[in-house]
Amino acid sequence: MASVTRHRLNKRLLRAGHLIGLFVAMTVICLPGLWVVLNSFRPTVEIMAKPPVWIPNDLNLDHYRAMFGGAGEGGVPVWTYFRNSLIVSVTSTLIALLVGMAGGYAFARCRFKRKSTAFVVLMASRAVPGVALSLPLFIIFGRTGIIDTHFGLILVYVAMNVPFTIWLIDGFFRQVPRELAEAAEIDGCTRWQAFWKVEFPVARAGIASAGIFAFLTSWNEYALASQLTRSVTSKTMPVGLLDFTSQFTLNWGGMCALAVLMILPALVLTFIVQKHLIAGLTFGGVKG
Amino acid sequence: MTRVKLPPWLVLLLPAFIIIAAVVLVPLLLSLYSSFTPYHLTRPDTLWKVNFPFNYQKALTDANFWAAFGRTVLLLTVALNLEMLLGLGLALMVSKVTQGQRLLRTAMMFPMMFSPILVGFQFKFIFNDNVGLVNNALQSLGLADRAIPWLVDGNLALFAIICAEVWTSTSVFAILILAGLYAIPQDPLEAAKVDGCSPWQSFRFVTLPFLMPFIYIAMAIRSLDVARAYDIVQVMTNGGPARRTELLWTLIGRTGYVDARMGYANAMGYVAILLSIAFTVYFFLKLQRARRDLGMGD
Amino acid sequence: MAQVHLRNVVKRYGALDVVHSISLDIADGEFVVLVGPSGCGKSTTLRMVAGLEEISDGQVVIGDRVVNDLPPRDRNISMVFQNYALYPHMTVRENLGFSLKIARRPQAQIDAAVDEAAAILALTPLLDRKPGALSGGQRQRVAMGRAIVRHPDVFLFDEPLSNLDAKLRTQMRVEIKKLHQKVGSTVIYVTHDQVEAMTLADRIVIMRDGHIVQVGTPLEVFEDPANSFVATFIGSPPMNLLPGTVQGGRVVLADGTAVPVPPGLHVADGRRVHLGIRADNIMPEGHSLPPTAHMAHVDMPVTLTEPLGTETLLFATLAGAEVQAKMLNPRPVTPGERLRFGIALDKCHLFDADSGVSLRM
Repeated sequence: MASVTRHRLNKRLLRAGHLIGLFVAMTVICLPGLWVVLNSFRPTVEIMAKPPVWIPNDLNLDHYRAMFGGAGEGGVPVWTYFRNSLIVSVTSTLIALLVGMAGGYAFARCRFKRKSTAFVVLMASRAVPGVALSLPLFIIFGRTGIIDTHFGLILVYVAMNVPFTIWLIDGFFRQVPRELAEAAEIDGCTRWQAFWKVEFPVARAGIASAGIFAFLTSWNEYALASQLTRSVTSKTMPVGLLDFTSQFTLNWGGMCALAVLMILPALVLTFIVQKHLIAGLTFGGVKG
Repeated sequence: MTRVKLPPWLVLLLPAFIIIAAVVLVPLLLSLYSSFTPYHLTRPDTLWKVNFPFNYQKALTDANFWAAFGRTVLLLTVALNLEMLLGLGLALMVSKVTQGQRLLRTAMMFPMMFSPILVGFQFKFIFNDNVGLVNNALQSLGLADRAIPWLVDGNLALFAIICAEVWTSTSVFAILILAGLYAIPQDPLEAAKVDGCSPWQSFRFVTLPFLMPFIYIAMAIRSLDVARAYDIVQVMTNGGPARRTELLWTLIGRTGYVDARMGYANAMGYVAILLSIAFTVYFFLKLQRARRDLGMGD
Repeated sequence: MAQVHLRNVVKRYGALDVVHSISLDIADGEFVVLVGPSGCGKSTTLRMVAGLEEISDGQVVIGDRVVNDLPPRDRNISMVFQNYALYPHMTVRENLGFSLKIARRPQAQIDAAVDEAAAILALTPLLDRKPGALSGGQRQRVAMGRAIVRHPDVFLFDEPLSNLDAKLRTQMRVEIKKLHQKVGSTVIYVTHDQVEAMTLADRIVIMRDGHIVQVGTPLEVFEDPANSFVATFIGSPPMNLLPGTVQGGRVVLADGTAVPVPPGLHVADGRRVHLGIRADNIMPEGHSLPPTAHMAHVDMPVTLTEPLGTETLLFATLAGAEVQAKMLNPRPVTPGERLRFGIALDKCHLFDADSGVSLRM
């Protein structure tokens, strides 16, 4: 009897521990983000108050107004940055998807020697740290005159995204049985038709999520963009974030407002792809 | 009509290889060359003076370089292991939840969508000694009577950086390990239970070995962009105070862009690149072996 | 008009030959089953006919065209895959009509063809579902429907029933046979299941290690297996093979038991052979078919029984080897019981102990 009660007590303790642990973990995960969102609505005085104001009593849109007002407080050209980010991210994502689809298909379907070596080499190219790569790129782009242009940044982001896109898409094509394309060929398709009419539509959701992942990478990239963009014509939002800093001060509220603008699209997109993303990574990685 | 016919896989992979060669390989060759010269941004002619081992000798005898190198390796080791353990714990906790699991899973991905530069600012803010969230909380709760100089003291600053890094990347591990937990076949677990394994034993001998490939996937993915930590560090401390949080990457950035000593920066960059690549290749090979062991290989 | 001819067809992966110079002539409208253990090259052969594998050497002729260099779509064939390969993003209707749509047939014609196929296979109520919402048997029927819609010259089946449960398999076997009788096209059917081969085929092609071992009607290969491999592969339970040596017109087994050499066979003394007896031809006395002119008798202890209803399968031991025998009008038998068995010698076979070749040939 005693052991049964002890067992039951243990079980209850375990449950309580589980819930508390989960709560703490989720708080730590969500709090910094929520803090940013909250501060974007608070006046700078309140953010900087000493002793701290815990319960916000004055929420307003001042920082957003200032940010979008162009030459207002700080005068950061947010819309231009947003547009730059969008152009660069979308274009580079589309190109990376096309290149990645070809490559991923090759890895999923073709047999060739040194396949795994080719794969690791591709991945290793992605591992080159942005700062280290930015030095020679800075020199080359400076010489060829594509520094501080959308084109230059797009080129870099395509190269950066291709390896990972290939990995993901490889995983998704592996989930499409080989027989589907064969059946399509017997049904009268050419290889090209079989791909576009059967394999592509079946893997479409996965490919879309690979695209979103590439988009997020470009959208959030800083190390390369900070060196390869110089002026308003090509600066992206992560670089623009630095406009809120000056030698000694930091405009926290304004920065938070821009941060929210950066996070929102990322939030929505991530939410859409989360399921496919995990499937793609694990299929490509484990069943590869 | 005797056209040379390339094998299809080559045709398909060619665009990828061309673009990577253009944007990664060629610049790396250039940086390899320039690392042999005393190239200085403001004096272009210095690019043509080859002085082979000079920069490398200088780097290898530079105490600052070795300090940054050691600190980078330390940071990566601590951060990655911590991320792995926390991710495992988080995944286990979430997998045991019966209701609202979707919501938790989505929340778990939250940090992944933050730009690292943003994470840097966010944690700079949180660890600000004057108005930061952490100090405010500690003081309000009466746990500390004076402001703790998080980003001013060298060790505390490194701790704060690790916190930021762990915050962003734990979810990568958690999510992939969670995917692994879902994929575990139930039969071996039930067999272990029948064979008399305690919960800990069945975790240790059944669950964990099965999860290993998933952990390696996460490690491999992380290894692809460990250098993202550069963004965080650059914003939070920029290597300071007094170089006490200097990492290889911030050191390279400063030497190259601030001091304009490109040749030297490239030489150090090469060390960082080789470190990253070694790291990536190691985990990818591990991953391939783990796959084979589980019979999931090609 | 679609005979299929394989002329010295070879499939090679690098230095490894998986199909060794196979030749086979298939008549128009014939139902041919390629059967063999996994890895025998039967699927590879089928895929070469389909155009999904390159032909390393030799010729494949469909109708009167050499199709070696034709892509699958120009061969006028259709194929049913082991896991059906239905297009998951299309409805059943779209799946059925896909090949005609690719061929740019007018919509009215496509609809008519789809409706006809759906009616034949009882798919009409399922036409607007996606494959994901179908049961295994229904998917199987859609796969067959997709094949018949095109009115191909040749149907290719690659183990189409192996993913179904036993009951459904029997049912679909009958449907395939009916379909063939109705459509009358040439069929090449690959399976590893000898029951499917026996029940479906006009002619069976038995393959092993990339070679054709024997070609013949189901009864031919059952009654006259070319070697001990075919003997054990075709028929259930497999033929019993007892090693022995021929001495004075008798086969002497390991423990000295002697059985007369089956009538009509002349084997030199001292030759080492395997005596092949099917379970149907070795039965306990009092529970057997009426004796024939050539009977032999042995005593064997029964080790295990498998009652099957109208008959019981007995596992007995003879000369150290396990022998399966049938018992008609069964009565309970206790393990260890010794029974006297009659062997119908005229139905028995002798195979060379080394090469396995039948000595009846």
